[in-house]
Amino acid sequence: MESNSIWLVILLPILGFLFQALIGPRLGKGAGAKKTLGIAAVLPIALSFVVGLLITLNLAGRAPSDRSVVVAGPDWISVMGLRLPFEWVVDPLSMTMVLIITGIGALIHLYSTGYMAQERDYSRFFAYLNLFIAAMLILVLGNNLALLFIGWEGVGLCSYLLIGFWYKDVVNAKAANKAFIVNRIGDWSLMLGMFLIVALIATNTDRFAGDRYLSYDVMLPALQGILQDNPGMATAIALLLFGGAAGKSAQFPLYLWLPDAMAGPTPVSALIHAATMVTSGVVLLNRMHVVFEYSPLASAIICMIGAFTALFAALIAFGQTDIKKVLAYSTVSQLGFMFVACGAGAYWAGMFHVTTHAFFKALLFLGAGAVIHAMAHDQDMRNYGNLRKYMPITFGTMAVGWLAISGFPLLSGFFSKEAIIGSALASDHPTVQGMRFGQISGWVALGVAALTALYMTRLTCLTFFGKEERWRNIPATEETHDERHSLADSGTILNEDLSSPRYAAARELEEAEHPVVENVVETRTLPSVDPHGFFYKAGEEPHKEHEHHHALDQNHQPHEVPASMWIPLAVLAVLSLIGGYALETNHAFRHWLYPQELPVLGQVPAAYPNLLYLSLAAAIGGLVLGWLFYSRGLPKDQGHDESGWNPLRRAERDQFGYDGAATTLAVQGGGDLATALWQWFDRSVIDGIVNGSGLVARGAGMALRLLQTGVVRAYALMMLVGVVGILGYFFYAMTTGVGR
Amino acid sequence: MNGVPLVAYLALGLFMFTTGVVGVVIRRNPIVIFMCIELMLNAVNLTFLAFARYQYTKLPVGDLQQQSSMMAGQMMVIFVMAVAAAEVAVGLGIIMAIFRLRQNIDIDEMNLLRG
Repeated sequence: MESNSIWLVILLPILGFLFQALIGPRLGKGAGAKKTLGIAAVLPIALSFVVGLLITLNLAGRAPSDRSVVVAGPDWISVMGLRLPFEWVVDPLSMTMVLIITGIGALIHLYSTGYMAQERDYSRFFAYLNLFIAAMLILVLGNNLALLFIGWEGVGLCSYLLIGFWYKDVVNAKAANKAFIVNRIGDWSLMLGMFLIVALIATNTDRFAGDRYLSYDVMLPALQGILQDNPGMATAIALLLFGGAAGKSAQFPLYLWLPDAMAGPTPVSALIHAATMVTSGVVLLNRMHVVFEYSPLASAIICMIGAFTALFAALIAFGQTDIKKVLAYSTVSQLGFMFVACGAGAYWAGMFHVTTHAFFKALLFLGAGAVIHAMAHDQDMRNYGNLRKYMPITFGTMAVGWLAISGFPLLSGFFSKEAIIGSALASDHPTVQGMRFGQISGWVALGVAALTALYMTRLTCLTFFGKEERWRNIPATEETHDERHSLADSGTILNEDLSSPRYAAARELEEAEHPVVENVVETRTLPSVDPHGFFYKAGEEPHKEHEHHHALDQNHQPHEVPASMWIPLAVLAVLSLIGGYALETNHAFRHWLYPQELPVLGQVPAAYPNLLYLSLAAAIGGLVLGWLFYSRGLPKDQGHDESGWNPLRRAERDQFGYDGAATTLAVQGGGDLATALWQWFDRSVIDGIVNGSGLVARGAGMALRLLQTGVVRAYALMMLVGVVGILGYFFYAMTTGVGR
Repeated sequence: MNGVPLVAYLALGLFMFTTGVVGVVIRRNPIVIFMCIELMLNAVNLTFLAFARYQYTKLPVGDLQQQSSMMAGQMMVIFVMAVAAAEVAVGLGIIMAIFRLRQNIDIDEMNLLRG
């Protein structure tokens, strides 16, 4: 299929969004309506995938130098000799992302039709999800940074809407706010980077042909020459762009929104916060790799931040008991790997890990969703155990994901991690003043690979292995009342474990204490339109999330999930199993993405002595250690009584105090700063100017009032003095010649 | 200017004017103040006439156009006298009105506009 069909790929999800948003609410809430809505949600994405696949096959059939096509469109901005059209770039990088987005997106849509089957706001959910796919496609396909920014903000918006999908829960609403606000910091940095590029182009327009200055196919080759003359500019732009990438891709100072984003429905976590949106930072670095090639300093910083994030998040994962939280920190950690690769100059390895990570992390999240679904929405791994007996398909597929992320030989994670570690160890690019930061980050990444295997084994063993079925004897919860108040009242609930049994119990307690909801249904006094609902209609029962929620008690029987949920699991398991091998054979993926050598760095080596044995030792060592620790079930010192945990694990649970400190600093510090500015600057300076001008006028009036005595003769005297003064001045001027 | 030099006229004008100014400033009776204002106006008139006459004698004989233009000083005096007469008429009217109102024309008592 010709590249022009890329319009179809973008328009189909938009049509799906419009259908869900405009027609969906009118179809009612019955099972038949949900079936229609489900099909209408999956179909556009699946069709997009098919069209994208055909375009990709067409592209792959061409000569490597011929594989970048710009699909023109109408003008968006046209001002003062600059033209910014809606145009799409169809090249290996964008098409790889298109296949990941639409392919995994379609699977997750299918999964969601099962997972969200009991939800009331079915069409709202799929409207957001389709809109997200459209925005993400604009992000990767846009042929200039402005279009990328539309997609960038669009996915941020959809992320916000979906994290806060169950918005009646204040915890979810706050998590959504946190994600949105923290992302703003990164977006600010990205915008500054873009402005700097525009400023650089504006002073070098003579190096451009035509008026499409900002289009990648024009800008990137020209930037090479410009940056060669301005190496300092390259570092500044690279760091600002990386700041944007760090926000969206959850790197160290800004990672803290991603774990909270787990408040959203699990398919959202799989699609947005594991497979697609969070990798857009890596896509940005790949797209703009010329800039990063010119700056070893920025690359070194990227390497070190990536390595530190990978290590930091992997350590935190050991302190988490919520299955989704473990996967969230694992995602942060794996994103760190991708940035290590990009910093080392092995941009293709970053994309390789994006791809394989999309396979196995989507699989793991969907598997976790299946487990959560089966376990009455309890997400605490301490209440699981021996689930392989009840959920054989979920167990089998998730085991593949577990081995793949751990780097088990011949599975997908093995290849991409080896490529990253090898490139980092061998790379000379991020070298500043003789310090080979690439190598440092490579060794850190190797250690983190072992940690990854260890904490993923912990997750798998606690969930599926062990004889003990721990939900049958959950210790009695205490202090639920206090917990509820601390959740409802305090502003620092962002750090709370969103789904601990104590919280679930607290929620039930709240519902028991305030049974208003049910009464409203019976008496039908519901207002005709819910002011806060988005798709509400008259006469419906009020919103209540998790309607099928029934408490996890000792008689609970876990059940295998329906076919709509395990089919995506199976497909993703197959991809995780063979994806890495298929893409790495003959370096197919690398040559697909970067058929030519990099313009500055040339060929970045990925070989290091004994690399194979090192990465094998890390993976197998982690797996074996994890098996030794956790195969018999929950260790005694990791139980519900968290005071019995060892101090390191407690520190890891609390993210070494970083999240709390950063949140306190930002929220409290921001508040204090605003208060201080109000108290000092606003009150003394701003109010001072306003009141001061009044006081001056008043004082001048008071002083001049004394002149107006009412004595006419005094006025006459003043006039006399004035006339004498004026005449005296004229006389003086005439005699000395002043003013002539 | 047969024997009386220009400076004498000017000195007399200056004396009259100063007397008028001092009178306006120190006297409290508006009638006397009016007289002092009249004194100042006449001092100016005297100065006008003195300069006009002085300039006239300096001109060459027979230049009629120039001579007529030199009459501006004299004209000015006529104007001043007319204006002064009008001013006195209005001013005395006001003083009569004030007297009817307050039975008193002491100028220092008229301080309603004090700030």
